[in-house]
Amino acid sequence: MIHCELLVVGAGAAGISAAVSAWKAGCHSILLADRAVQPGGILPQCLHEGFGIATFGKELTGPEYAAKLSESLQRTDILYYPETEVLSIAHEKTAVISRRGALDQVGFEKLLLATGSREKTIGALPIAGTRPAGIFTAGQAQERINLLHQDLGQNILILGSGDLGMIIARRFTLEGKHVIAVLEQNAHYSGMARNYHRCIEACRIPIRFRTTVTEVHGTGRICGVTIRNLETGEREQIPCDTLIIAVGLIPERELVRGLGDPDWLYSVGNCRQIYDIVDSAVAEAEQITRKALSL
Amino acid sequence: MEQIDAAIIGGGILGCFTARNLCRWKLSVAILEAREDVCTGISRANTAIVYPGYDHVPGTLKAEMTVRANAYFQTLCEELDVPFLRCGSLMLSYGEQADKVLQKKYLQGLQNQVPGLKLLSAEEAYVLEPMLAPGLHTALYAPSAGTVNPWQLGIAACENAVHNGAHLFLNRKVEAIHKVDGGYVLETENGSLFARGIVNCAGLDSASVQEMLFSPSVRIVPTAGDYLVLDKSVAPVPSRILQYEPEQKGKGLTVVPTVEGSLMLGPSDRENEIDYATTETGLSFVREYSHRLLPDLDLTGVIRSFAALRPNPQRTDGSRINSFSIEHPAPAFWSLIGIKTPGLTCAQELGFYASRKVAAELGAEPNLSFDPLRKNIQSVHSLSFEERKALVGNFPDYGEVVCCCEDVTKAEVLEAIHRGAVSVDGVKRRTGTGMGRCQGSRCEQKITALLAEVLGVPESAIPKDGKKSEIVWGSRYDTL
Ligand SMILES: Cc1cc2nc3c(=O)[nH]c(=O)nc-3n(C[C@H](O)[C@H](O)[C@H](O)COP(=O)(O)OP(=O)(O)OC[C@H]3O[C@@H](n4cnc5c(N)ncnc54)[C@H](O)[C@@H]3O)c2cc1C
Ligand SMILES: Cc1cc2nc3c(=O)[nH]c(=O)nc-3n(C[C@H](O)[C@H](O)[C@H](O)COP(=O)(O)OP(=O)(O)OC[C@H]3O[C@@H](n4cnc5c(N)ncnc54)[C@H](O)[C@@H]3O)c2cc1C
Repeated sequence: MIHCELLVVGAGAAGISAAVSAWKAGCHSILLADRAVQPGGILPQCLHEGFGIATFGKELTGPEYAAKLSESLQRTDILYYPETEVLSIAHEKTAVISRRGALDQVGFEKLLLATGSREKTIGALPIAGTRPAGIFTAGQAQERINLLHQDLGQNILILGSGDLGMIIARRFTLEGKHVIAVLEQNAHYSGMARNYHRCIEACRIPIRFRTTVTEVHGTGRICGVTIRNLETGEREQIPCDTLIIAVGLIPERELVRGLGDPDWLYSVGNCRQIYDIVDSAVAEAEQITRKALSL
Repeated sequence: MEQIDAAIIGGGILGCFTARNLCRWKLSVAILEAREDVCTGISRANTAIVYPGYDHVPGTLKAEMTVRANAYFQTLCEELDVPFLRCGSLMLSYGEQADKVLQKKYLQGLQNQVPGLKLLSAEEAYVLEPMLAPGLHTALYAPSAGTVNPWQLGIAACENAVHNGAHLFLNRKVEAIHKVDGGYVLETENGSLFARGIVNCAGLDSASVQEMLFSPSVRIVPTAGDYLVLDKSVAPVPSRILQYEPEQKGKGLTVVPTVEGSLMLGPSDRENEIDYATTETGLSFVREYSHRLLPDLDLTGVIRSFAALRPNPQRTDGSRINSFSIEHPAPAFWSLIGIKTPGLTCAQELGFYASRKVAAELGAEPNLSFDPLRKNIQSVHSLSFEERKALVGNFPDYGEVVCCCEDVTKAEVLEAIHRGAVSVDGVKRRTGTGMGRCQGSRCEQKITALLAEVLGVPESAIPKDGKKSEIVWGSRYDTL
């Protein structure tokens, strides 16, 4: 059994800053575990700039922001376990962690949950038809393109005009792909104005409001979708070879489901609420950490 | 030309169980499957119920086989190391028409000797399943009903057949059959093969396969149905199989608490469909009826929808089919045509039935060294902490979690590939990866990478599921 005062689950922006601020506040028995190889959570795959304006006074890219977090982590003696899955958390203030070659129990006094979010998938949407290859969530596409350097398709349709949808639309355009359109069910784009100007306007990507996908076509690879205008009810078939689902993030809280609200458990970052701006996620994570420690 | 004793056309659950049972005789056996993997057809998309046997006309082969298969199911699943959940079922009536149906099924069930069958009052049924919508009339309780993962069962039978010497020929679609002296020649897309006997288990194509050689006797008229799957985190959910018996024909609904812990709802009923595509009306039907039957069920927990195709058999002479349509158009040629519900329940029985007939016609001796046992891929999820720790210590790959929703490790994925998975869905069918709430959006990239590495091909050659379903088109590294 491994013992620590504070167990931090997830080494994204929120988890790292929480762990580092706890360290600075004098808590020197911290274990920070994350399933990924590198620290930073979703930041390393966000190649775009736009992070850290409030904290650093300039726009950094995701990897740059992650590098700053990682430097601050290295200046501490926090025990950081990458490539480590936290499997479960129990009422007895123990967790089970799994790594290559080792399964361990961790005993802790306090726990900071910093597990981020997961994406809504096509399965959760009322979209009929087939489920062929060529359908990705935005984050999955981002990882495959930006980190794994893969070519996902040529004619791309994007469902959802949140920040994720708009940013991936630009990414595909910069990769030389044809983004047929971004589809949005509301009458207005749902992400930040900054991303609308930089991604949609600057890349001249068509955006269709009050429109949604009702059906997917194709066996093997996707060959098109049926879309529906929510005002007129009109339907139209659009051919495409790739469909990106960018319809939102869900706080990832599976680990603590069923635990109730014990006094040793605190949540920070996207698993608490979805933050559009990393700086706010970080600032609040630090605040919550101070509160957690003073208890 | 390759020569074998018995060829099985089609590697669905029926083909796999026929192969397994043919190995009980001293015969050389081969499965010829059109696809790159087994159990990708009807056997993948169905309701997953192990039926108790009250649905069928007493005295028919179907009734007799279902009751026997059900009684034997636990043993079968132990032999093949596949999870089986004997959760029981409630058939539900909300009206007078349905009451009559339940009454009839009850009597039929008694005649078929279905164990433990009871007609329950509404009060009794609400005690068992408090979530049921108000207004219940009666319920038919069958404690012997259960559920199994259909493709896991089929894959297990196939592995067991191969272990006993059967050959599995994949990507071998049978395109023509000729009668020759002493047997048949099967022409496939990858060369011809001579077999002394044939069992046709081609599912939706079984009628057309038989018609390659014989005049039509049974035709298949497919209909389709849509299903929804809820995440295992959804609570509360019913703990038994529920079958809502409609007042009007065709508007029923089945609810199944699966062995994986998710809840399956469906199917809708649509006509004349030929592909595995869901429809908006079908899906909203399932939603609407689920809500009607279980008003407090949290339908926001839907993680997947899928469609299934029913291979409805119809005799060309118009006569009614009360039992399984098993055709025997010529010596040593058997066809399982249009085997729909309860084909999963009876897969072992049907496989044994067909094998015994073929073996007799081929004059085969029993194979006394047949081994009925098969071991599943070791899954870490079911282990205690100590057991899992020991396993991870001995085999480091068991420590690396690949699918975080379903808790599946690298060791399991590698073993699935070793056992024949060549696609992302092939790994999914063998290990459960991608079945959970994120539907593979976090593990698919790891699985395609592992498949590519082990199979020694670029990732752009890895399919999701079958031909032309490659997930990525290329990589900047491919050319390096
Ligand atoms: C596409 C996109 C673009 C964005 N663009 C901007 C921008 O331009 N500017 C800006 O300021 N903000 C932006 N944001 C918002 C900001 O990036 C996020 O709010 C912030 O990074 C969230 O950090 P987090 O630590 O909460 O979550 P995450 O970064 O998701 O980190 C969670 C970590 O927990 C780990 N984890 C989860 N469960 C377990 C477990 N059981 N065991 C082990 N590890 C686990 C995960 O591996 C992950 O590393 C963007 C967000 C997205 C999605
Ligand atoms: C909607 C639905 C719900 C059901 N629910 C239940 C249930 O709850 N309980 C129950 O007991 N039963 C149920 N069943 C029945 C059960 O699923 C089927 O009886 C069973 O899966 C049939 O298996 P199969 O092997 O015949 O077909 P398949 O799995 O379709 O296998 C046929 C195989 O043959 C291959 N093939 C076709 N043509 C050729 C060729 N020319 N050459 C080579 N290979 C070929 C195909 O590729 C395929 O792999 C249900 C069926 C349906 C449709």
